[in-house]
Amino acid sequence: MSMREKVYDVFARKDRGDQLVHIGYVDAFDDDTAKVHAWTTYDEERWFEMCVVERTAIIPVNRQDGPFAKARREAHE
Amino acid sequence: MSRFTEEELIEKVQNGYMVESPEDMTEGYRKALRVQLTVQADTELMSAPSYWMAARHAPSTNTQVSAHAIIQDELAHANIAYRLLEDIGESKEHLVYGRQPHEFKHPYGFDQPLDNWADLVVANGFFDRAGITLLSDVYHNTSYAPLKRALVKVDMEETFHLRHGEVWMRRLSKAGGEASEMLQRSVDWMFPMTIEWFGLPDDLKRHSGQLDYKLKGLTNDQLRQVWMASTVPLCEELGLDAPAHWDQEKEEYVLDYPFPCQYDAEEKRWAFDEGEISWDDVFARWKGRGPMNEIYVESVQRSRMDVSRWFNGKAAA
Repeated sequence: MSMREKVYDVFARKDRGDQLVHIGYVDAFDDDTAKVHAWTTYDEERWFEMCVVERTAIIPVNRQDGPFAKARREAHE
Repeated sequence: MSRFTEEELIEKVQNGYMVESPEDMTEGYRKALRVQLTVQADTELMSAPSYWMAARHAPSTNTQVSAHAIIQDELAHANIAYRLLEDIGESKEHLVYGRQPHEFKHPYGFDQPLDNWADLVVANGFFDRAGITLLSDVYHNTSYAPLKRALVKVDMEETFHLRHGEVWMRRLSKAGGEASEMLQRSVDWMFPMTIEWFGLPDDLKRHSGQLDYKLKGLTNDQLRQVWMASTVPLCEELGLDAPAHWDQEKEEYVLDYPFPCQYDAEEKRWAFDEGEISWDDVFARWKGRGPMNEIYVESVQRSRMDVSRWFNGKAAA
């Protein structure tokens, strides 16, 4: 285990029926700490649902110049 | 290599183009954004130890909770701004843990000690209002889309900090006696401190590119006016002396003291009687940093080194 952190993107919906939207991102050692960091960092609303996903797990579809594509490239370097 | 020239990008953002990723940026744009985000992140970060050390003066457990909720928000805002910096190629690790205290870019106000509860609530009322003034201008005008999205949360929470400051300023002023004397003392040093925070007047401002790239919308003097437009009436309503007034002829707020002027950090007193100084003198004072600079930065950085050492089983570099 090291102090090296990974990037996790945070998605949430405010109320039942709302869209799930990208609200930001956190750094964390692993999935469990990412959940804690997301919940305590983005506490401006009482979210109906919140999820985190490691940035490298997001597969860009139509463009290769966004942060998600960059994260995947860096993970494979 | 950018897909646009500097001139092309400036024209595009002035016409409403939103920048989404480093590939959309020119080198000039990236540099201007980096400077802006570094100031923003460092200011949020350094407010945390400043407020944290002052929170021990909270008069009840409930007020302790409110004070710490504000600190938690500030750290989250700092974290978000440093993450935005990582997206444009900077290292959060270096920015937070690898710099010397004097290398941080926060305003001089956050190098000062907040010595009592009145100092803390006036900091919320004045400094956080400066934060909202600056950041809501960025929110409404920025051409950098990830920053605009991030500021939704920041704006929501800074408004709560400001309300906390105002509610407590009102309570202290109503109480009269020592409570309002302490409040006035905090206003006396923090009003000019916040005025100075907005930086060089427009007629002396060196070209920064932040307006050209639409990273902000208002100039320093305009932002100073926005801050005074809400702060001066608040002080008047609470019976506090603030060294500024509305000038009917000029149709703007004007300061009642020589600006800029010298500050005695030990005494927490502005030397109004010594007259105006040059902005070079101000920059020299900012560069020398204030009395709490090293203490605040050290309080943020310390544990990182210790815990890294535990993980690595050897002394951290």
